[in-house]
Amino acid sequence: MAILRFPLSRIEGHARVEMEVHDGQVMTAHFQAIEMRGFRYFMQGTSAEQMPVIVPRICGVCSTAHHVASVKALENIFDVEPPELAREIRELLLLGQLIQNQATSLFIFTMPDRVGASSLFHMDESEADPDHQLSLARRSLKVRQVGTNLITLAGGQFIHPVKAVIGGVTSGIQREPAEAMLKDIEALLPVACELFDAYWEMSMAMGERIGTWGDDQPAYYIASTGRTRPRLDSDTLRVLGPDGVERASFPPRLFRSYLDYEDTAYSYAGQTSYQGQVMRANSLARMNLALSMGTPLADGYLEKLTHTFGKPAHPILLFDLCRGIELVYAFERALEILAKDLDYEDTEVPYTLKDGEGYGLVEAPRGPLIHHYIVTDGLVREAEFVIPTVHNMLAIERALKVAGERYISPEAINLELEKAVGRVVRAFDPCIACATQ
Amino acid sequence: MPENSTLPRFAVLQLSGCAGCEVSLINASEWVDQYQLVYMPLVVSTHAVPEDTEVLLVSGGVRNDEDIYNLRRAVEIVDRVVAVGTCAISGGVANLGDRDDVRAMFMAGQDRHHLPHLLPKSHPVDSFVNVDLYLPGCPPTPELFMAALLDPENYQASGIVCGECGRKKLKDMRPQHLVGFQQGEVLPDICLINQGYLCVGSSVRGGCRAICTRPGHPCVGCRGPSDAYIEKESQVWFDRVQNVFERMTDIPPDEIRDALHSPQLSMFLFQFTDYADANRPPRPKEKVL
Ligand code: SF4
Ligand code: SF4
Ligand code: SF4
Repeated sequence: MAILRFPLSRIEGHARVEMEVHDGQVMTAHFQAIEMRGFRYFMQGTSAEQMPVIVPRICGVCSTAHHVASVKALENIFDVEPPELAREIRELLLLGQLIQNQATSLFIFTMPDRVGASSLFHMDESEADPDHQLSLARRSLKVRQVGTNLITLAGGQFIHPVKAVIGGVTSGIQREPAEAMLKDIEALLPVACELFDAYWEMSMAMGERIGTWGDDQPAYYIASTGRTRPRLDSDTLRVLGPDGVERASFPPRLFRSYLDYEDTAYSYAGQTSYQGQVMRANSLARMNLALSMGTPLADGYLEKLTHTFGKPAHPILLFDLCRGIELVYAFERALEILAKDLDYEDTEVPYTLKDGEGYGLVEAPRGPLIHHYIVTDGLVREAEFVIPTVHNMLAIERALKVAGERYISPEAINLELEKAVGRVVRAFDPCIACATQ
Repeated sequence: MPENSTLPRFAVLQLSGCAGCEVSLINASEWVDQYQLVYMPLVVSTHAVPEDTEVLLVSGGVRNDEDIYNLRRAVEIVDRVVAVGTCAISGGVANLGDRDDVRAMFMAGQDRHHLPHLLPKSHPVDSFVNVDLYLPGCPPTPELFMAALLDPENYQASGIVCGECGRKKLKDMRPQHLVGFQQGEVLPDICLINQGYLCVGSSVRGGCRAICTRPGHPCVGCRGPSDAYIEKESQVWFDRVQNVFERMTDIPPDEIRDALHSPQLSMFLFQFTDYADANRPPRPKEKVL
């Protein structure tokens, strides 16, 4: 029995892969989260109203999703509905997050795999044409920056937003900065599309070269967005079967009746299943669920995806392409919202503290995120964070095993395996800081 | 940014943190022309800090034994070590778990074989290695990152967050209690203390351009105390904030005192003065950006 150990990079957080191999057979493939800070423990006793400022620190990549999920959980407890303006500003926040995350995953995490470079910043020394690649890096960072700027505009602080509060948001967005942002996004939307087109081409070439888009079997899918258009702050989770038929839809407070959670002995993260079945969250789950995106360019890309790969589509490298579609969608949708008046007075409604239990759901870039709190006397007694990456754990391990079987034989281990491990993990874009908190 | 360029080389070591510090650094893309990034697992596939690296940025706290190992190995190679963000400087948000009840739960529930061994608490980087520059903030802004990399001595910032905030402190608007967001609105242009919010910007070091208070959220002090308090005990600093509130409001002193000890402030405000590791001198203000 040999154990192959693969360190991982270009993902969020600290993780590694271990494969047990016996006579050329892959016995197990473990995806190990190797860090942990313990938020679910040390949040106990915190003043409930401070949660939205503290929990973004669970993860600097998904901070915005935690910020909004936290506010929604508390609003659920205190029985308060935010005004329309607050909802729009929160949607902008989540769109900023989506842009930042999908651009990071596409350009910084996975594009280097497509050309054999060690990073976006080193792409000029890869086999590809130097001048072209360098400008690719710079354009990628610009597109990504739109997400950060949007978070700053809608959320105040740029990594750990502060503007969403129980009952609303602290302030609207004045016309002048909204216009400036609008111009910026308009100018960069064609650049984002151009980069995504290039990424799509590179992906086709890579699929051609390695001879697969992923050999893993079909899976269940979980997401909380709408069917006719994405909704990042819906109150319903949905599960699709491998055949694309919806099997369940439920509010966050019932998640335990549908999803099974287990701790693992070899990782600081647990794993969930849909009643024992392997499921997948993140971009591919949303695209398999979505009948349309509701914006013209993104709809064009969705059609192209469906036309090329069918629906539901299962090869895991499609996660990456789906992120591109969402990047374009988020640009387009942000333009729609920024064109509206976001500067009228009605930003928050008052509330009074009370005891209770509440759930807050948002669709984070990596899938449905739930915050669940029990509050008494204004203090958090229990905090539970139901993390999208944890829903993907079984799927990641199954896909890793398939990759291992492809490249390991009794005679030899193909050197492509290490790259394949990286590609598989990055397709799921796991977030270890969140998964273990 | 070719590998063989003569640009100075820097590396980023991420210990147990949230990656927000790294994300902020990527937002500051100006370094691309002036530095060569040789190691940063979040964005580059390399597995060790290479020789001839000049600057090491360390983010995150020391939370497990692998963090200690990676940190010690990396500092041997470099000329200059910068501790970036609250987690690296003081243990940060994870330090909220530095309580007996939490430690007991944590250590009982989280024993794992063959994984990095968790320490009972999150430690600052300088518990293990020497640090040349501290860059506080949760996370530091991209602008601060650029200053730390390029010209820390000449970074221009206000002494305190109030100096960058632009909200007016009014004499005749004196809240009776801390109200927080329960009142349902934040007035523009008026100091948040006048409106009954627990804003500690009056003694927190400037440099972030008051990004929280401008859109209406009180400063929670992520940059830590200003130069005036950084080398003093936290009590001196507390008294100062207490004074500001007593002067500007009619809020009962006890109410202010209790609020100042709340978790969201304590994760940042003690970062320079109070260590759980006793008997350490305060960090000199000259070393703090
Ligand atoms: S200092 Fe703040 S932003 Fe940086 S790693 Fe720690 S929690 Fe994240
Ligand atoms: S106390 Fe806060 S709101 Fe008031 S001026 Fe200072 S930073 Fe601004
Ligand atoms: S305003 Fe205060 S909390 Fe916000 S970034 Fe500045 S120092 Fe940190």
